Amino acid sequence: MRSIGEYLRLYFMIEAQYIKGRMQYRADFIISSIGMFFSSLATLGIFWVIFESVPDLAGWSLMEMVFIYAFYMIAISPMQILFDHAWQLRFHIQQGTFLKYYFRPLNMMFYYMSEIFDLKGLTQLAVGIVLLVYASLQLNLDWTLIRIALLFITLFSAALVQISIVVIASCASFWVLDSYPVLGLAWKLREFSPYPMTIFDGAFRFAFTFIIPIGFVSFYPSQLFLRPQDVSSLIYFSPVIGIGLFALTYWVWTKGVNSYTGTGS
Amino acid sequence: MRGYLAVMRGSFMVSVVYRFGFLFTILGNIIYLSVAFFLWKSIYRSSDTIRGLTFNETFIYVGLGSAIFILLKTYVDWILNFEIREGAIASYLIKPIDFGLYTLFASFGSLLMNLAAITIPTLIMLIFVFKVEFVLGPGLIIFPLSLFMAFLVSFYIDYFVGLLGFHSESVWGLSTVKEIIVTVFSGALIPLHFFPEALQKVLLWLPFQAIYHTPLMMITRPDQSWNIFLPMLFVQIFWVVILFIATRLFYNQAIKVLRISGG
Repeated sequence: MRSIGEYLRLYFMIEAQYIKGRMQYRADFIISSIGMFFSSLATLGIFWVIFESVPDLAGWSLMEMVFIYAFYMIAISPMQILFDHAWQLRFHIQQGTFLKYYFRPLNMMFYYMSEIFDLKGLTQLAVGIVLLVYASLQLNLDWTLIRIALLFITLFSAALVQISIVVIASCASFWVLDSYPVLGLAWKLREFSPYPMTIFDGAFRFAFTFIIPIGFVSFYPSQLFLRPQDVSSLIYFSPVIGIGLFALTYWVWTKGVNSYTGTGS
Repeated sequence: MRGYLAVMRGSFMVSVVYRFGFLFTILGNIIYLSVAFFLWKSIYRSSDTIRGLTFNETFIYVGLGSAIFILLKTYVDWILNFEIREGAIASYLIKPIDFGLYTLFASFGSLLMNLAAITIPTLIMLIFVFKVEFVLGPGLIIFPLSLFMAFLVSFYIDYFVGLLGFHSESVWGLSTVKEIIVTVFSGALIPLHFFPEALQKVLLWLPFQAIYHTPLMMITRPDQSWNIFLPMLFVQIFWVVILFIATRLFYNQAIKVLRISGG
């Protein structure tokens, strides 16, 4: 077993090489970043259009929605930047190139995911941070040290939830012919997380809280900062949910890896 | 012509192989419809009509929008880019077929499959689960034709972006920008009525509204006169012609820069 420190060192070495390689394609980096920038702003545009017609959404103002959305953008960035290779898992499995990941004395999930460091995701992270700062200034939020610590803890948990949902969905390709629809569904679900969970009725709110907990990606933790007075105690479980879900994901991944028999070619 | 029909049949059959995926796409649509339902319910909490549309009309627009969204997404840009990068495109170029028509018929095949497997189930769900009531009127007669034109507009925009792959390797960025522009400015997510007046005027001059807004208007407010529907259809036809010519010219020019290394 290698230590975490060793893995971190290794990770920086791998990504430094990767980034050097990618920088050969500077135009691609710029165009992709512009694409990411636009896609980050699209939902914001939708909020803006909706708020042209109504003053609030289930009691939440435009600026509060911007905060929730900014939190969401930051929370999904680690998935985009560090786990983007999950999208290619189905190709590697179908074409048999997945076999190579068995042949190194490294943790397989680490080795596999380290192969891509998605640079365009940095744009998303940057947009998220700028929006978060902007919204908190507009809303006059009071950032005490404890709140800032809470922000980091909840963001970490939210990022784990998001990573888990996408990686579990991509693992479907170990068992089915094409996991794209499963991934597509997971991806689509992600888009609903910046909406106030209070607009949903019983069954959906339950599902988005306990079954596919996208509520924990953004809405529930944001409440902690926007309206601390009426936050439900559920939110204090968010690290448990994040870590628990990631552990489950890792278990599914290991199952998949052990059941994979290659393509025979 | 028979050859192209065979291509269409082929791509239809390929889609059938992936039928497992349809379950997930339909499931995704059910969830999307429900989320949209709750979202618009809460937007309509304070008033019965917003921008001249009732909740029912808006929900038909958005719900049907999601049903035909899957129909009109051709993924041609991604497929073409893959074929250019891998060099697989060479095998089409040496065949006695027209590449543009070949691609069109191939995506028409998967459109038929999506129509049967996704759009029709979604429609049934809209009627029976969400109890959406459709209004009758001349718009419904013209709707299928308008939908077909919308498909052509969507196809030629995707095809155009796909052809950019001859010049640039970074189709991810280009396709993403295109996708956002199309989904936001076509009315696929929010009816164009909700946009500020000035922006609406600009959007009506662009080709994107011909993809979702036009057919969706014909089905949500079919009880209007032909004087409204016919010009809308002509605008769609206008864009099909313009985009068809533009992609032809662009293809003839782009094919010259194609270099395929090795085999």
